[in-house]
Amino acid sequence: MKLLLSLLATLLPGWAGACTWCRPRVRAGIYTPAYPANLLLVLLPVAVLLALGLGLFYWDKLRLYIAPARAARS
Amino acid sequence: MQLAPELRLRRTPLVAAGLLLGAGLGGFVDGIVLHQILQWHNMLSGQLPPDTLVRAKVNMYWDSLFHAAVWVLTVVGLALLWAASGRAEVPHSGRTLLGGLLLGWGLFNVIEGVIDHALLGLHHVYEYTPNHLPADLGFLAFGVGLLLAGAGLVRAGRTRRVPTASS
Repeated sequence: MKLLLSLLATLLPGWAGACTWCRPRVRAGIYTPAYPANLLLVLLPVAVLLALGLGLFYWDKLRLYIAPARAARS
Repeated sequence: MQLAPELRLRRTPLVAAGLLLGAGLGGFVDGIVLHQILQWHNMLSGQLPPDTLVRAKVNMYWDSLFHAAVWVLTVVGLALLWAASGRAEVPHSGRTLLGGLLLGWGLFNVIEGVIDHALLGLHHVYEYTPNHLPADLGFLAFGVGLLLAGAGLVRAGRTRRVPTASS
């Protein structure tokens, strides 16, 4: 996971390398002030799904923190 | 077959693994079929129509980040499936796994449809028409159908006891 995150941190900020004619135009279109907002919006559904799946997988452990009384009864 | 009634089954890890795998693979279906083969939309085509080479390439960049993210979903799902398969209380149920896969694909369609299409308007299923609603609703309805089919399969995969190693 650390390797993946460091790879993403390296690739995301400025490596889009289109052809020499369009490279500056493409980069200007990608790396705008709206970049962080666009990144957040594009990844939002995937983040929700990831949280749902991991939450379900670790539900037995999570419910000890969320509802300890109910977890103890079951 | 000898059965051990004292061992309580837990299908949730298998459903969760299937859900993430299904969501990841459903994301690839969206990206490959709707973005690339049919070219009905791109990730930001609702805000930045890909009507020039440069704009198409900017959309291609955001499509690729989406693909990278669904690849991560798929890998995490695979890791969870591996972890679940090593647990004695998790049943080896093809129906449950297939149900989880369909649930994941359906959830992907519903969550992506609600967030990206309906709430944020980042893009619509078929961008190049004045009326986006029919295709957007069809995408959501397909997702709901997958959810129902997945829930049915997960229910059908229920068993009460775990077979012991001597079975």
